[in-house]
Amino acid sequence: MQSALAPMIVPSVVLGQRAGHVAPSDRILFGGIGIGGRGAHVLSKLLKLPETKFIAICDVRNERRETIKSTVDQNYGDRDCRMYDDQFELLARQDIDAVLIATGDRWHTPLSIIAAQHGKDVYCEKPCSMSIEESWALADAFRRYNRLYQAGCQRRSGANFALCKELLNAGALGKLQTLYANVGPSVNWPPIPSRDWLAGEDPPPKQVLDWDRWLGPAHWRPYHPSYVRGGWRNYYDFHGGGILEWGSHTVDLCHWAAGYDHTQPVEYEPVGGNTGPYAVNCKYADGVKLVMRDNGWEGALHTGSCSFRIEGDLGWVETGDRTTIACSDNIRPLLRPTEPASLALENHVKEFVRCIRTRQQPSASAAAAANSHVACHAAFIAFQRGKTLTWDPARSEFTNDDVANRMRARSLREPWRI
Amino acid sequence: MQQTTTTPAPAATPAKPKPPAPPPELQEGAIATMDGAGLMGILQNSGSSEFQKAKACVRLGELGVKEAVPLLAALLADEHLNAYARYGLEPIADPAADEALRAALGKLKGNLLVGVINSIGKRRDAKASQALIRLMRGPDPEAARAAAAALGNIGGPASAKELTAALPKASGALKLAVADAALICAERLLAEGQRDQALALYATLSGPDTPKPARLAAMSGIIREETSTSRPR
Repeated sequence: MQSALAPMIVPSVVLGQRAGHVAPSDRILFGGIGIGGRGAHVLSKLLKLPETKFIAICDVRNERRETIKSTVDQNYGDRDCRMYDDQFELLARQDIDAVLIATGDRWHTPLSIIAAQHGKDVYCEKPCSMSIEESWALADAFRRYNRLYQAGCQRRSGANFALCKELLNAGALGKLQTLYANVGPSVNWPPIPSRDWLAGEDPPPKQVLDWDRWLGPAHWRPYHPSYVRGGWRNYYDFHGGGILEWGSHTVDLCHWAAGYDHTQPVEYEPVGGNTGPYAVNCKYADGVKLVMRDNGWEGALHTGSCSFRIEGDLGWVETGDRTTIACSDNIRPLLRPTEPASLALENHVKEFVRCIRTRQQPSASAAAAANSHVACHAAFIAFQRGKTLTWDPARSEFTNDDVANRMRARSLREPWRI
Repeated sequence: MQQTTTTPAPAATPAKPKPPAPPPELQEGAIATMDGAGLMGILQNSGSSEFQKAKACVRLGELGVKEAVPLLAALLADEHLNAYARYGLEPIADPAADEALRAALGKLKGNLLVGVINSIGKRRDAKASQALIRLMRGPDPEAARAAAAALGNIGGPASAKELTAALPKASGALKLAVADAALICAERLLAEGQRDQALALYATLSGPDTPKPARLAAMSGIIREETSTSRPR
């Protein structure tokens, strides 16, 4: 047959040879669980990457499932994104390599661990855990299953934050004295969230919203639409308070910059009340101080939200989401222009995808996240106890307060466990 | 001369609606600072609301009031308060809490039973092992998975033996749970210095009958252990 003898021309797109194109068989396949406003922002970065394809969405809210499917299908020009209301069905898919988890905080650890048990790599929004116990369970599971985990601590991938770390590591700031992590302003998120309930209302039909599944591992309470619309924050059963809200970024930055990804402070002194400015003064075993402080949304030096500061005996630097770097006069000649803040998330997502290929742990690994989150939880417990607590990182226990030790864990509502 | 401007004043930003406030009867208030006796009084009072009981359970757990164990145990059969009661029981360092949870195993079904099994696993109560083995082999799939997880958490050679025996007989989600429990059991054995038994368990899990994620995890466990520089050779 003539056609059998003709040279066969295969489009380069199929072979993945055109610049920017990846053969379909080489693509990393993603699923997503609980993608709302923040998750959609992360997803938008993922959808730009030719080496990935997002193929499944799971949500207990019907409207959100359909919104994400519509966004994804429109992006790829197909109808391939499958919808699920049961996370186990999505995770059972052998073709999915990794999952993006952007549910409410209460789900982060249990879902991430279940994903690891199903062999998936995970990108999970912060905060990664609701308690000290969950933080360690998360790190243990990802080590056990040898899976990759990238916490949504994207400032680790921001150039202005990286430059501050570089200046410290290069010795320009001298010997490290004090780290400052700006935590959630009390006007937005008080350090101690409420343990109250809202008055119950009739829940919507299950096909619109499954209230039991929405609650998930959080303790039962009567339905109120405010929780579902984002009002769950500032309620203890769903939220870790202002310290964890920003500390999961800024304490994490301090640990990353100072090389403390493997440890936590040994002392926590709470200062202030639940309204108005507050702080927790902490100390590491080597004498370096960490101050978790409510310094307002923009920070006193107007470096932007989620700012952190490093003070050495030779100089200091401070930066936040405005990307400008405030510093002591001697450091100014060492500064260089940095990238816009918006690139931090893009870099962070790209790093995760690159790590899936190379099987290297990303910068915000489960172990690193566990250490910074434990510091935040310990500070939160000290604030609730209203006294200075001392902590033994090796034993992962408070050494001067039995009540505080009993607050290291929260029981999960049945049938969930970690 | 003062310059005049024709630029209209910016429209006022509409005020963000205030979040709803909890009604007085659903505010924790004085419960937050009550002592053990006061909190137990809430659980003993038949007129206490579900909300008051929930808050009392949590605070009793944080205070670690062992005298409250029977009152907390009585709420394990309550559909809404089970998790609160377990929040109270889990951190109480007294054998009475273990006994109460063990006693509840025979009385509960469904998710309430699963919750109690999870708490037993968390407390690593080895005295519950025989009951857990029966549940792992039993007809309730959720309870069987929870029991496997609890056995893994309890650890020790006896759990390792049971989980190893259960693995080839299990299928689907139970197989995944048994394999996961066995991995945790292996880590417990390592932590307790029973290296040979841990490696034997990893070797079993490295077989083709194990779900792939757990099989790879077991292989990683062997490599991690064999290449560790901090352990005796």
